[in-house]
Amino acid sequence: MVGIVVVSHSSELAEGLAALAAQMAGPDVRIEPAGGLPNGELGTDEDRVRAAIRAADQGAGVVVLGDLGSAILTVRHVLERHNGNGTVRLVDAPIVEGAVAAAVTASANMPLDDVARSAEEARGAGKL
Amino acid sequence: MAQASSEPAAGSAAAVTIRLPEDVDLHARPAADFVRTAMGFSASVQVAAGEREVDAKSLLSVLALGAKGGTELRLTAAGDDAAAALEALSARVTTLSD
Repeated sequence: MVGIVVVSHSSELAEGLAALAAQMAGPDVRIEPAGGLPNGELGTDEDRVRAAIRAADQGAGVVVLGDLGSAILTVRHVLERHNGNGTVRLVDAPIVEGAVAAAVTASANMPLDDVARSAEEARGAGKL
Repeated sequence: MAQASSEPAAGSAAAVTIRLPEDVDLHARPAADFVRTAMGFSASVQVAAGEREVDAKSLLSVLALGAKGGTELRLTAAGDDAAAALEALSARVTTLSD
């Protein structure tokens, strides 16, 4: 099953979003938060991102979502060194909608391409 | 002679109308359960409520339908397993719970 990693400047935001997505997707999908800095401040940390990707990886690939600019840079730095032969995919998506859509798609046992696409489709999905 | 069954042949398009349970809105977990069921089939599946019709495999689109308990959902499917998809989705809708 494809895993999901949510990278946020805020650990509370990352953890809350992981909980929300897990409530929709059920217990089988690994949804790992990577938020904040080790000293508790706001920011994104490469070691936390790396650990979250490792924890989310069940062999079917991992979709990574970031909240704002430098979260994306942090993920890119991590993936430059290790991207699991292309099985770790950073997607361009609004983080809440994207993570929930990706997690539910993953829970249906869909492949990495479909999970990544469901997250990116969130860019064009209206709420109203 | 009896008429052929109204069940659509495999590989064709199919349509069915099903009512959401009165006490279950198609939001959050019920919407995820619905979408997950649709994703189990290769057929393309659309769900309509009122004037709007969306891809039944798109969680965010299904959420945006905003279908309340008791709403009639019109399901249409096209593809090899269209009939099976609608059968499974109809069964799923009637057993949805919050």
